Amino acid sequence: MTEKAVIGPRDIHEYLSEFDDIPGTRVYTAARARQGYHLNQFAMSLMKAENRTRWLADERAYLNEWPMTDDQKEAVLARDYNRLLDLGGNIYFLSKVFSTDGLSFLQAVSTMTGMSVDEYKAMMDAGGRSPEGVRSIKGNC
Amino acid sequence: MARITAGIASSHVPLLGVAADTGKDRDAYFGPIFAGYDWTREWIAKPENKPDVVILVYNDHASAFDMKIIPTFAIGCGERYKPADEGWGPRKVPDVEGHPDLAWHIAQSLILDEFDMTIINEMDVDHGLTVPLTMMYGAPENWPAKVIPLAVNVVTYPPPSGNRCWALGEAIARAVQSFEGEDLNVQIWGTGGMSHQLQGPRAGLINAEWDNMFLDGMVGSTQKLRTIPHIEYLRETGSEGIEMVMWLIMRGALGRETRALHRHYHVPCSNTAIGHLVLEPVDGTVPPSPTLEGNNAAAQSAI
Repeated sequence: MTEKAVIGPRDIHEYLSEFDDIPGTRVYTAARARQGYHLNQFAMSLMKAENRTRWLADERAYLNEWPMTDDQKEAVLARDYNRLLDLGGNIYFLSKVFSTDGLSFLQAVSTMTGMSVDEYKAMMDAGGRSPEGVRSIKGNC
Repeated sequence: MARITAGIASSHVPLLGVAADTGKDRDAYFGPIFAGYDWTREWIAKPENKPDVVILVYNDHASAFDMKIIPTFAIGCGERYKPADEGWGPRKVPDVEGHPDLAWHIAQSLILDEFDMTIINEMDVDHGLTVPLTMMYGAPENWPAKVIPLAVNVVTYPPPSGNRCWALGEAIARAVQSFEGEDLNVQIWGTGGMSHQLQGPRAGLINAEWDNMFLDGMVGSTQKLRTIPHIEYLRETGSEGIEMVMWLIMRGALGRETRALHRHYHVPCSNTAIGHLVLEPVDGTVPPSPTLEGNNAAAQSAI
């Protein structure tokens, strides 16, 4: 390479240490992947039509087939997606839950922002959320 | 022999597949997005541009791979792939036909070149792969090109570095050049992005300025994009903007210098900024492999 290489940290501790500095964002790290393993696998199971039928017939009974924590089960029942992210959920897996509910990505994603669907859609149509002020907590930029 | 003749970059937002499948692709919302692909559809239909095989770099979105297995780089060596049921039934688009001869050749070559690929013989392919086909080809009865899926983990951290992706592209170019079967026109497509964040209170982030810097950096002989660290993608382009590292596999495979034939950028599509490029190599040479040429002093001095 002819240009100076600044690829980022190669030390995993240093690499991970920056992720909590991004406002309103949960980076899907190995720690979250471990915490949310069964939650995400439950969500994945909804890709099969026969599982979706059983899930819709009795959500709680279906959840009880999975070794998830009570917190995770309650957050799924409440469709509290921010809470699910905190409990190790990943949005691509959780999308199986909201797709089964008939929600689009835009509708489901808006529920995490504190805005109504219409407000959120209006923000997107106006060019989206600016990165100004939400790049870094400690940098306040 | 086979040769890489062009590279295409494109977002792969699932809603674009829905729009195309339900006849909304020319309405007021989607029309400006699809209009930016009209040039490409015309260009790719010309006999001199039509690829025999597309190496399609994409990411699986919890469809073929769940949390049981997380391959960093996986190459599809199968005969055919069906559209995945992503929770609302599979898209009614043609099956994707593979090219096992070239795929296995690339897989074997990459492994000898020290890229330790995961080999996939059977899988379903989700919107990450089928939406770019729709954007480039519309709704034909059969896809006009064979496809080698190349799936990259950009979901569970750490994804591969931009530098590693670029180097993989260079290794793919070396592998394609050494294919001894049919005479093949090969394109490589890098998909995903551009800026978007689908989670948390910061969802909806779009950074048109950064995205356009990235589009600029795909063109010419600069290598500045290969060293962008993950944290910069996260801060500047949202948590899902990291998909853009997949564009760098395509860029690396085009060699030393590229020219842009077509460029399109549009905000928004659902939560996402749409970016699309058609590139051709100006100087398609890639460095010799530090592994394969490890005992050759002349090759080493060129690296």
